Amino acid sequence: MALSTLTWVSMLVSLLLLPGVAAAVLVRSLRTEERKLALLREQGDIDSYSPRALSDLREWIRANPDDPYAPIARRRYNECVRSLRGIDEPHYDWSDEEIARLELVDE
Amino acid sequence: MSDSEARTAREEWGSRFGFLMAMLGAMVGAGNIWRMPFTTGENGGGAFLVAYILLLYLIAVPGLMAETMIGRYTNHGVIGAFRKVLGSKRAQGLGLVVLIVNVALMSYYAPIIGWALYYAGHSVLMTFTQPGFQPQAFWDGFISNPALVVGIHTVTMAGLAGVLVFGIRRGIERVVKWMIPLLVVALVAVSIRGITLPGGMEGVAFVFTPDWGYLTRGSTWVAALSQALFSTGLGWGIALTYGSYLSRYDDVPLGGGLFTAIGNTSIGLLAVFATFPVVFAFGLEPSAGSNLLFISMAQVFPELPGGSLWAIVFFVSFFFATFTSGLGITEVAVTTVSEETRLSRTGAVLASCGAIWLFGLPSAYSSAFLGRMDFMFGSFGLPLATLSIIALVAWKFGPERARVLDLNRNAGVYVGPWWNPVVKYVIPVVMVFILGYGVYSSIGTANQRLMLLGVAFMAGLVVVSTLVMSVVGDEPPSGSATVPGGDD
Repeated sequence: MALSTLTWVSMLVSLLLLPGVAAAVLVRSLRTEERKLALLREQGDIDSYSPRALSDLREWIRANPDDPYAPIARRRYNECVRSLRGIDEPHYDWSDEEIARLELVDE
Repeated sequence: MSDSEARTAREEWGSRFGFLMAMLGAMVGAGNIWRMPFTTGENGGGAFLVAYILLLYLIAVPGLMAETMIGRYTNHGVIGAFRKVLGSKRAQGLGLVVLIVNVALMSYYAPIIGWALYYAGHSVLMTFTQPGFQPQAFWDGFISNPALVVGIHTVTMAGLAGVLVFGIRRGIERVVKWMIPLLVVALVAVSIRGITLPGGMEGVAFVFTPDWGYLTRGSTWVAALSQALFSTGLGWGIALTYGSYLSRYDDVPLGGGLFTAIGNTSIGLLAVFATFPVVFAFGLEPSAGSNLLFISMAQVFPELPGGSLWAIVFFVSFFFATFTSGLGITEVAVTTVSEETRLSRTGAVLASCGAIWLFGLPSAYSSAFLGRMDFMFGSFGLPLATLSIIALVAWKFGPERARVLDLNRNAGVYVGPWWNPVVKYVIPVVMVFILGYGVYSSIGTANQRLMLLGVAFMAGLVVVSTLVMSVVGDEPPSGSATVPGGDD
C-alpha cells in the first residue's frame, strides 16, 4: 500500500520531533556531563550557573533579601563566583570580562 | 548542614547514562506498548500526535523538570521531600498519599510484569511456534490457574527485590543500562519486520494519516492529555525519588525533563511501528489492549518466517519495559521506607516488596479486581499524587525560587521564566480537569459506583494520611515552617 504524502509528512515529523529530539538530547546530555567530569578532574571545581542563570539568581536575591531561602541563594551565588575566579576553564560560556565584573554578595 | 555534608551519606548515580536509562526505563511501561498505538489510531492518527506532542512539550516536560528538581534539592524520598519543604508533621501526609498510591499501583502492576515474564519465558521455550498452539486457550489456561499466576507474581516480586537490594548504582543502574538499549533495538527490529510484511504499511497509514477534524473534538485532547501525563510518569514520585540520587553537579532539566518525556514517548512511537503493521498485516483487532499482546500477537508468530526468534525479541523486550518500570515504582517505596524507619536498605526492600506482593495477590488472582484497581488508582489516585507533588513545587516552594535556585544549577539547558506559570497554573488546572472529567464521564455508566468509591477512598486517604503523619511523622527541620508559600 502506498502512503499519501500527508501520511509520510506526519510520520517523518513525528520521528523528527520524538526519537530525533530524544537522540539529540541524549548525546548532548552525555557529552555535557563528560566535559563536566573532565573539568572536575582537572580543576577540582566547576562553575554551577550559566551567565543568564547566575544573573537570574542575583536579581532574585536583590528582590527577595529576607526570603527564608535567601541565605541558600547567597551561598550558592558566592560559591559560583568563587569557582569562576578560581578556575582556568569555565564549564559555561563565561567571558573573562563577565567574570571580572562579578561581585560577591553579603551572606 | 551544608549541601556537601548532606550529600556524602547518600548514594548517587554512577553515570549519566545510568540515570537517563533508569528514568526512561521507569516511565516506559506496558501502557506505552499497548495503549499508545491504539490511542493514536483511534483519535485521528497524525492529528492526535499533533495534540499529543504539543501537550508533551507544554506540560509533561516542565512537570518532570519540577519533580526531578525537588528530589535533587531535598535529597529525600516522597515523605522527606514534603517534610523538608512544607515544614509541618501534618503536611507530610501528602507524601504518605503519594507513597500509598504508588504501592497500590505497583500491587496491580506486578501481576502484569508477571504476565510479561511468563510469556517471555514461553517465547524462549518456543511454545508459540509449536504445532497446534492455541493463543486463547493458552491465555485462559494461564490466567485461570491461581497457583501459576500467584507463583509468577511471587517470582516477579522476588526478582525486583533481588535487583533493588543492591541499591541504586549496583542494582537498578546495572540492570537498566543494558535492558533499555536492548528494548530499543528489539522494538526497531520488530518494527522493520512489521512494515516489510505484506499489508504492514496499512497499519502505518492507520496511525499516521491525520484526520484534522479530530483536533476539534474534546475527546481527542482529553486522550492526548491523559497519555502525555500518565505515560510519562509525571507525579508518581519516581522522578522525585530518582532525582534525589543525583549529585549537585548533575543537570535536571535536560535529562530529568526533556529526555525523560521525549524519550519515553519515542519508545511509544516505536511500539506503534512494532505492533500496528503486524496487527494490520494479520487482520487483528487493533483495540484489543492487553489482549492484543497476549493473545493476538501470540497467534502471529507461528506464521512469521523465523517466528520463534521474533517472539523472543518481542516478549522479552516487553518484559524489560515492564520490569524496569517495576523497579522505578517500587524504589519510591524502598527509598521512603529506608528513610522514615530504622530499617536498612535490605530491610526496606523486603518490607516494600513483601507488602506489594501481599496487596498484589487479589490482582494476581483476579483480572477483574486488577481492572477495578486500575480504574480507581489510574483515574483518581495518580492525578491526586501528581497534584500533591506539583503543588509542593509550585504552591509551596514556588516556581521562581525553584527555577533560579536549583533548576538552572548545573543545568544542561537554561530554563526561562515561561516555566513558572506552566508549573503553577497550567499543570494543576489540567490535573483538576482530568479528575473532574473522570468523574463526569463515569456518571450514568457501569463505573459510576466504582467512581464514587474511588473519589471517597482518595478523600479518605488524604484525611487519614494527614492524621497519621501528624502523630507518627518526624519533626520538620528547624526554620522550615516559616517558609511562605509560592513565591510570596
